Amino acid sequence: MNFKSRIVSILVSGTLLAGACAAGAESPADASAVPPPAAAPEAATAPDAAAAAAPAATSSDTPPADFKTLDQEVQGLKKDVIDLNKDLFVLEEELLFPANTQVAVYVSMDVGAFFALDSVTVKIDNKQVKNYLYTAREADALLKGGVQQIYLGNLKVGKHELVAFFTGKGPVERNYRRGATINFDKGVGAKYLELKITDKVSKHQPEFMIKDWE
Amino acid sequence: MIDVLGHRRVRRALRVGSLALGAAWAFSSVAAAPTLVGKDAPDFALKALDGTNLRLSEFRGQVVLVNFWARWAGDSRQEMPALNRINTTYARAGLVVLGISIDEDLRRAQEFADSMKVSYPIMFDTGSETGRDYLLQKMPMTILIDRSGVVRYSHVGFKRGEDRIYLDHIRELLRE
Repeated sequence: MNFKSRIVSILVSGTLLAGACAAGAESPADASAVPPPAAAPEAATAPDAAAAAAPAATSSDTPPADFKTLDQEVQGLKKDVIDLNKDLFVLEEELLFPANTQVAVYVSMDVGAFFALDSVTVKIDNKQVKNYLYTAREADALLKGGVQQIYLGNLKVGKHELVAFFTGKGPVERNYRRGATINFDKGVGAKYLELKITDKVSKHQPEFMIKDWE
Repeated sequence: MIDVLGHRRVRRALRVGSLALGAAWAFSSVAAAPTLVGKDAPDFALKALDGTNLRLSEFRGQVVLVNFWARWAGDSRQEMPALNRINTTYARAGLVVLGISIDEDLRRAQEFADSMKVSYPIMFDTGSETGRDYLLQKMPMTILIDRSGVVRYSHVGFKRGEDRIYLDHIRELLRE
């Protein structure tokens, strides 16, 4: 499916969804026009009241069929909204960061016995594009295997340089600041780079690498 | 002679007109002062006095009071002890108080924050980015953010007794 037809399909589904929501909003008003089913047992005479009480109790436990279908419709609409939101998110990303210029930088951390991450600064072609400060929770998430997308941007096709600076606490609680550099070729496809923080056990030092995902 | 009088009248009319225009512009700029009330609070991550990093979005689900202060702003000296009292009383109820210094001189700001001995976290907006995001106009400035991360109240400056206004809003937000 080409780009234009995707936009059109998303817009059409959005309009249909809005129409469905509006119709859904009208239905409770219609339902209120119908007299409540509980009115019948109340009108029953005293001897019949005890007999009528049992069916009334069971009917209050199980919702009427109308409500069930309405609930299913609402759930369906919610699902449609989530799907539409996902499509819009993907479309927005494709519009803002087309594949031919897209550059994404990720951060991952392995073990972390010799380094407590505090912040990462990313420079591309000598221009700072991101400075990210990590909270204790975020650093924990990275240690548990999380991968963070720290930067998403556009670059022209050609040669580029990325420099990443890592600050934090090194071995023996010392302040630590290290840099890593990579020269890469940006082709016509999207470019993915990973900033990897690992432990070098033999040297008892952290190691910082940048991996180019071809 | 008539020409000279005519010129004077024109000049006077122009002067009065420009004054009126200036006054109208000043009034409109005051009336249309930008505010974040009703909008999502811009997220930030800053370094606190104790060396930890704090991010606003990690306090989602709690009522957050953000106080921008500066060492040179006299009202901040009055406001910080009042905010400290609010923090000690309402922290258990789900209130988070965050102080953000916009001082450029980090060392002196740290000394000042130490001397105030407040119990809530003090952070430093050294890059001024957070201040820009929050449309700072005058110091101090206090912002109240509800449990869903929306700015609900904004207050510029501080006069003795104004902490009662904060308390009214805080109680209202904590009840939600």
